[in-house]
Amino acid sequence: MKKGLTILSLALATLVLGAGAAPAHFQMIYTPETALEKGKEVDLKLVFTHPFEAGHTMDMGQPEEFFVVHKGEKKDLLGTLRSIEWTSLTNKGKAFETSYKVRGIGDWVFVLVPAPYYEDNEKAYIQQITKLVVNTSGAPTDWEADLGLPAEIVPLDKPYALWTGNVFRGVVKSAGKPVPNAEVEVEYLNHIPLMAKNMFDKAAKVKAPQDSFVTQAIKADANGVFTFGIPRAGWWGFAAMGVGPKDKHEDKPNSQDAVIWVQAVDMK
Amino acid sequence: MKKLVLAATVAAMTLGLGALAWAHSPVCTCYDGGDGSITCEGGFSDGSSAAGVVMYVQDGSGKELLKGAMNKDSEFTFKKPAGDYQAVFDAGEGHKVVIQGKDIVR
Repeated sequence: MKKGLTILSLALATLVLGAGAAPAHFQMIYTPETALEKGKEVDLKLVFTHPFEAGHTMDMGQPEEFFVVHKGEKKDLLGTLRSIEWTSLTNKGKAFETSYKVRGIGDWVFVLVPAPYYEDNEKAYIQQITKLVVNTSGAPTDWEADLGLPAEIVPLDKPYALWTGNVFRGVVKSAGKPVPNAEVEVEYLNHIPLMAKNMFDKAAKVKAPQDSFVTQAIKADANGVFTFGIPRAGWWGFAAMGVGPKDKHEDKPNSQDAVIWVQAVDMK
Repeated sequence: MKKLVLAATVAAMTLGLGALAWAHSPVCTCYDGGDGSITCEGGFSDGSSAAGVVMYVQDGSGKELLKGAMNKDSEFTFKKPAGDYQAVFDAGEGHKVVIQGKDIVR
């Protein structure tokens, strides 16, 4: 009986650990709408979390860079960031917010280069360079630009103009060069961020039958191109793991990842 | 033979133009600069430039107040008229965008 209990405990511990280890870290830049009718003040939240489960939210350090690119011009927004505390379903973590007035037409590509985050479980740093594209009026200008970031996903489909069921394709790049067979993790933002409360909605939109569905791991092809069919409206995050050249930070391994977020809407 | 080639060319051109006309739609948005000026920015849904597109401004009764064209940055700035007005982005038949002055804010 005792032995049986031990085995059961071990099995449970494995399950818990297994479940805990499976979801991926995702740096988010979030705003409720990316396809805008016309210019307006766009509210942005920068949160480093596990989006499918709205679980453990990591404390972000002071970002290295935060800027926006519009019609090929880069504008520094680092000074506009304000510190906030973001509430996940399990904890609170340091995050940032800002707002930016988009005016005129075209694409605004927001780029965040966060401070490397030390993940004690892995004895390594994670630095997810993240892009979010906002459009007004439907005239495209910058969405497909290769910004030459150390780690970058260059979209082949407009991240703000996707119907549910469309595919989203991207090229994984390391300092401007495609990364063959790159590993890409995909997660659904399963809990809506509540902008005014700086927290995730407790209600989950979907339930995963098993861990492989929480973080879907896919591969890019020999040209660094990945394709993902979008099964549901909402937000999808794509993270290409460890593709950037900076693989050490303060004598520890550093995974320099490329992240992009896309928003799909239902045909109705 | 010459006639045939000409016909084919015309057909191809028509097709080409047709595709161009159907594949993109015009967009234009204006904002109040807060200094008595209004700036309109135009473009097309396929990303092509609106440089040179005719712009005109009409008063409430439809009378033309001024006429100009989008500059190389696809922008057109004009002095805000007193009273009701509308800005018209005119890229040809089926490619017009009309923006009411009351919808133009900072």
